[in-house]
Amino acid sequence: MFRNGPWPPAGMGTRMRFHRLAAWVLAGLTAVSLAIVIAPGASYSRQDREQLFAAASPSHPAGTDALGRDRLVRVAAALLLSLAGASAAAALTTAGAAAVGAMAAFATGAVRWTIMLLCDVFLALPWLFLLMMVRSALPLKTSPARSAAITFMVLAALGWPACARAVYRGVLELKNADWMLQARAAGLRRSQTLHHVVPNLLPLLLPQFLVSVPAFVIAEANLGALGLGIGEPLPSWGGMLLELDNSAILLQTRWVYFPVLLLILVLLLVEAIMVEA
Amino acid sequence: MHFTRRSVICAAFMQVAVLGAYCAGQAAPRLPGELVWAIGYDPKTFDPAKVDDIDAETVRYLTGGVLLRFNRLTQKVEPRLAESWSLSHDGKTIVFKLRAGLRFSDGSSLTSRDAAWSIRRVLLLGPDAPAADEFVNPSAVTVESPDSGTVIVHLPQRVIGIGKVFDEIAVEPADRPSEGRITSGPFVVADYRRSQFVRLRRNPYYYERDSAGASLPYATGVRLDILNNTEQETRLFLRGEYDLIDHLPPDYFELLRKQAGSTVRDLGPSLNTEQMWFNQSPVSPLPAWEKAWFQNRAFRVAVSQAIHRDDLARIAYFGHATPAYSFISPANRLWYNRNLSAPRTDVAAARSALLRAGFRWSGSKLEDAAGHPVRFSILTNAGNAARQKMATLIQQDLAALGMEVNVVALDFPALIERLMHTEDYEACLLGLENVDPEPNAMMNVWLSSSPNHQWNPSEKTPATPWEAEVDREMNRQATSLNDSERKQAVDRVQQIVADQQPFIYLVYPNTLVAISPRLQGVEPAVLEPELVWNAERLRLRGTQ
Repeated sequence: MFRNGPWPPAGMGTRMRFHRLAAWVLAGLTAVSLAIVIAPGASYSRQDREQLFAAASPSHPAGTDALGRDRLVRVAAALLLSLAGASAAAALTTAGAAAVGAMAAFATGAVRWTIMLLCDVFLALPWLFLLMMVRSALPLKTSPARSAAITFMVLAALGWPACARAVYRGVLELKNADWMLQARAAGLRRSQTLHHVVPNLLPLLLPQFLVSVPAFVIAEANLGALGLGIGEPLPSWGGMLLELDNSAILLQTRWVYFPVLLLILVLLLVEAIMVEA
Repeated sequence: MHFTRRSVICAAFMQVAVLGAYCAGQAAPRLPGELVWAIGYDPKTFDPAKVDDIDAETVRYLTGGVLLRFNRLTQKVEPRLAESWSLSHDGKTIVFKLRAGLRFSDGSSLTSRDAAWSIRRVLLLGPDAPAADEFVNPSAVTVESPDSGTVIVHLPQRVIGIGKVFDEIAVEPADRPSEGRITSGPFVVADYRRSQFVRLRRNPYYYERDSAGASLPYATGVRLDILNNTEQETRLFLRGEYDLIDHLPPDYFELLRKQAGSTVRDLGPSLNTEQMWFNQSPVSPLPAWEKAWFQNRAFRVAVSQAIHRDDLARIAYFGHATPAYSFISPANRLWYNRNLSAPRTDVAAARSALLRAGFRWSGSKLEDAAGHPVRFSILTNAGNAARQKMATLIQQDLAALGMEVNVVALDFPALIERLMHTEDYEACLLGLENVDPEPNAMMNVWLSSSPNHQWNPSEKTPATPWEAEVDREMNRQATSLNDSERKQAVDRVQQIVADQQPFIYLVYPNTLVAISPRLQGVEPAVLEPELVWNAERLRLRGTQ
């Protein structure tokens, strides 16, 4: 392999350390959140109706919300739910995009055209209205946990086309790479070349996965901020961000900013990991 | 990155364009002696006969001269352009005697011909004029003007509360409908900028004078800014740019109370109600056992007893709501049943009642006699913070009975689709806005044949004996010539509803308003338009 200039490039070691630090901080946040949620006596739904918008105290380190629920437990649960849901959705969407993109790259002209057209159609869909339609069509007795899972699955189902286009381009490049041409010339059938393509796609798929995670976290928060997200009493970023829409509530306690600050921190950490990948 | 001269010029030009557009969107400056407040949306029409939305209603109220006015404070009908009026014993003939010397805002004379023409126009517009419906059979109503000062209206049948109907009919110049530009009320439409403001100016020929003989209205005009943003409205009020806010949400009421305490007023319970109900429709797609729960009186009463209404009022409305047990609010002084006996919060009694009705507990979960776990959803509309909070509080209240409740917030069209068309829902939490204290206006909710009989719409015959009795009593109050008999009938309906709990009433949201200290003459009322019902007597301190 030939490269221009010195290797590793200047500054890469610092970035690698920052990347690792970000990954560790995110892992630490997740572990702390898990510990908060499963701690004995912790409940994200129990209402203490005499402690509305309570200030921080030993029993409620981040105070309580408008219904007297412990804000710290709710924020921790929202972080876990959001990261788990967004990661699962991102994994699904990346896998789907890889399959569709590779299929299009290896397909004949008409099939390829049809698949790419399908991608364009999906990209043009008004996803917010689709999500609202799906939300309203769900059986009303769908539990909050299941409706959260369905919300993320729908996000995954709508999120693959952009990623599929990138994968398609990547696979086309691999398909026309010198080593691939040599392999084909040496007598490898197309199906035999496929399992050589997949490992070479990983450097492309990992960033796609990492890009999708914050996108899905934000998409869920947006839905929640419209009041159409994850059902009560399950906590979600969006539901908590709704409080920021109202300056009357902002005056009650500064702790209402806590969820949004944590959301920004999580997004920055994911971004830091993503940039390096 | 390099900026070319052309790109810099383009960017500057765009900024100027954006700034210009922004400035154009700003309200016009306040004129001397002008009152300013906000309405939510553009009025859909300025034609007073076709008013069908609250914003157009505000404009009509301020501009339209009427024969009779329903006094929002005393809740009694008073003569206005009519000097006097009388209703015949059979309730079928109304005679109005007009004041002498009445004029329109353009200086032309106002006679009985104009009044008769305006009434006839409303009747002829039919479905396009909502006020026509209130005559019950508008096509059979006749209007005559035997002389320039008398108008006679002949009705085919007696109409309850007929006087109040004339509060909605603005007198316009005969054959010259002007969409508020020529009026007989205190103000005239002077300017309208879509999505910005409606400007009204004083009618110099308005007939009314104050006790000192000064002509009314006091204000030189009114500017109604079109703004549907409480956050911005509150900020503009605090800056002194708005003189009042009606319909203040409870959280913003608290905010204003902290920042400008003397300006806010809690007027007590409004006529509006917030309630939940179970879907009792036999044709709904719900499983048979759920229908059986919801049609079971004991089940509904137990749910009602488990709900802590004080908490709903205190938490969801910051204390600015009143626990509700009837469809008529205590603000409706004439019709509220003060002797009502309704199930109060009592979780132990609710559990006993459920046991007697065949329900049982498996661990902490409630099951019916066949072993079906009691699990249902409460539907409400997304975007209403108070309702979503109430639903979440009720979720915990009902958990104390072992009921598992899902709270589902849907956008309004999806919600209406389920309520009115598919009937695919279990319970719903919504509110009902009552602008009219007259119980006759609620017939469409209480008659079992009505599509708005929400828990079981459009029944061919009453599904239960108590619904048949509600039908009878509502019809009795609608046809009786005797006021005390009407009151008895309405009291009885309130008691049946409290016993059967088809609607589980939760709270009456309080009427919350903010009034600038500069504004004089305000006499707040709980009926709309709460603060400006006497607009002709409002003025800013320091103006003539």
